[in-house]
Amino acid sequence: MHLSTLLLPLAAAAAVHASALTVQNARVTVSSDATQLLTEQLSLDGTLPSLSLGPTDTLKLTFQVAEKDGGKGVQPHQTFLRFESGGEEGVQPVRVTAGGKAKFELNMAKPPSSLPPTTTEPVKVQLLLGSFKHSPSKFDLFELTVPASAPPAQHPDEASFHPLPPIEHTFRPEQKVPPKFVSAVFSALVVAPWVVLLGLWSTLQYRVPHLFSPHILPFTSSLAAFEALLLWYWVDLKLGQVLLYGAILGVVTAVTGKQALGAAGDWRLGKR
Amino acid sequence: MFRICQLLLLTFCLAIGSYARSSTGDSVLVILDPSLSKDNFSIFFKGLEEQGYELTFRAPKDVAPAIMQDDVASFAHVILFTPETKTYAKDITPQSLVDLLSKNTNVIFALGSKQTPLTSLAYEFSLILPPPGTPLISHFPERDTPATVIPIEVPSDHAALTSGLSPVWYSGVSFALGNNPLLVPFLNAPPESFAADTTEDSGADALVEAAEKGGEGLWAGKDMSVVTGFQTIDGGRALFVGGVELFSDEFAKKEVTKGVEAGNAQFARDVAAWTFQESLVLRVDSLMHHRVNETTPRDQYTTNDRVVYTTHISKYNPKLNAWEPYSGIQDMQLEFTMLDPHIRTALPPVPGSPGTYSVEFRVPDRHGVFKFVVNYKRKGWTHLHSSTTVPVVPPRHDEYPRFLSAAWPYYIGAISTSAGFVLFSALWLAGDDRDLKKKKTAKATE
Repeated sequence: MHLSTLLLPLAAAAAVHASALTVQNARVTVSSDATQLLTEQLSLDGTLPSLSLGPTDTLKLTFQVAEKDGGKGVQPHQTFLRFESGGEEGVQPVRVTAGGKAKFELNMAKPPSSLPPTTTEPVKVQLLLGSFKHSPSKFDLFELTVPASAPPAQHPDEASFHPLPPIEHTFRPEQKVPPKFVSAVFSALVVAPWVVLLGLWSTLQYRVPHLFSPHILPFTSSLAAFEALLLWYWVDLKLGQVLLYGAILGVVTAVTGKQALGAAGDWRLGKR
Repeated sequence: MFRICQLLLLTFCLAIGSYARSSTGDSVLVILDPSLSKDNFSIFFKGLEEQGYELTFRAPKDVAPAIMQDDVASFAHVILFTPETKTYAKDITPQSLVDLLSKNTNVIFALGSKQTPLTSLAYEFSLILPPPGTPLISHFPERDTPATVIPIEVPSDHAALTSGLSPVWYSGVSFALGNNPLLVPFLNAPPESFAADTTEDSGADALVEAAEKGGEGLWAGKDMSVVTGFQTIDGGRALFVGGVELFSDEFAKKEVTKGVEAGNAQFARDVAAWTFQESLVLRVDSLMHHRVNETTPRDQYTTNDRVVYTTHISKYNPKLNAWEPYSGIQDMQLEFTMLDPHIRTALPPVPGSPGTYSVEFRVPDRHGVFKFVVNYKRKGWTHLHSSTTVPVVPPRHDEYPRFLSAAWPYYIGAISTSAGFVLFSALWLAGDDRDLKKKKTAKATE
């Protein structure tokens, strides 16, 4: 705040800018191990030469800063080279003599810290001239292709501020069941004895006179009910329920069973 | 009479329209340097008061009102316009300011080119300040203000700033940003600007030497920031501004180009709105998890279950001072974690139900104690964290697949045993071969 109040009278004095600054004799040289590969005069009229540097090449840039009208060499306050590549930026001040002569050297074997991280995109090189006494100006110099560098270091937490890659769980494969045909064949094998039994029985003459007698029927039905309860337990019931129903049914079966066996015994005695 | 009614209605609507409250409270403590006058910032402070904030002013060395009493923050927000104060009262220390931020209190720090306790605190927030006494200067564009008063273009696509703002006048320092993802840059320095303490062209050599000395080099270019926010993990927001003149009336009323007023007033309001947790504030309203065809959550799930996770997110609307359901998050993710994420899926918004995000997935076939974790952090927005623990058990004895085709022979065998038993009992009890035997013996005895 105090500095700006200091500068106010100074700025008021320099309100009328003397002149614009211009660049003369801009020359760029690319050399590799003391052998010159390329020398170009920069015309600064909008056409940008494209240069490229290998890992051991050197780029030399020389120019002269002068007033536009008058041609006197001046040393401006700000003579910066601005490197821009794909959003990354670097600013390098250039040493200028009192007479306005400037020289800059870029050695790719030991690149300056102001060279930004680069990809395969070319680096645009711009010259910024600023001064307290003259109007500022900027010039696009050339495009430079340099070897790609390592990307800028990222904070270890940076990845969690973006969507992370999705993770899917690999489940154990479904258990394989043998083909139904095989099961059907073996089921048929299990049923086969019944076929034999029923076949042989059909040759007998067997009489069942007491089948629907009121002494026998309740017992056989409770036996059937017990088997039905077992089937029901297999499909649906829980242990507690089946024990409860089984207990009730057991009492019923015991009573009817006593009756049935008593009747069978009576018949054996009675008929005799 | 009609015109008066219209006028009253208009002023009422305007008053409602400019009303914007913070989601964390209305009390603001403003600590002003003794060399600064409250009237130089009247546009900014009156703007805050019109929005409903209650401002309390004090000097840095005043003992009352203290920023914290008995470990409880006394104010919801603190503004430190103290770029030149080197000593404060006992209650303001770097430690207490960091404590405030962890208590969900928001702070605006105004730095300057002098070395103060605040500049050393800025290092803790990953901001690298230039050497003391080197303010930001720029010779571009050509203008009739001193080189330290710089017009800076405001980015038009920032989520927290009004778009289409005219450039703002700035005077102060710039700072380099570390790569901490919690930093939220609002305004960066223009690409032609740099930090320097020289005031004449002959200072050019000093500039080159400062850059060649090594270390951080020159504070120059568009990667240097002048207004940066910091979103802490606990919710409190901090704002670091390199110079206090950004908020001053003089800069707010200055013209940038002929006839175009600077955007300082609106920019200061936007940036204060973000810091005071008015804009870009989210919260988790509720979350629910249940099996696919049920509605109530269970206290444990079985492996290979299909589970639905639903969460409701709201965004704070400062104009209405209310939380409204917000369906604009397109990249939220859900993690189902046991030590490491086993499943990470997108949690998309449900169309037709504002604020609801839902996803259905299959529970992994490992049993253990899992967590539903939503961890949403994006630059500039509050962080959303939620973690729900749920046990996953293997299937119970009766939850396995039943009635398999491979077991048909066994079913048939068991059923035929039962059937055989009933049939045999029935036949044995029901049968009677005494007549046959009698006939046989009768025949035999004849």
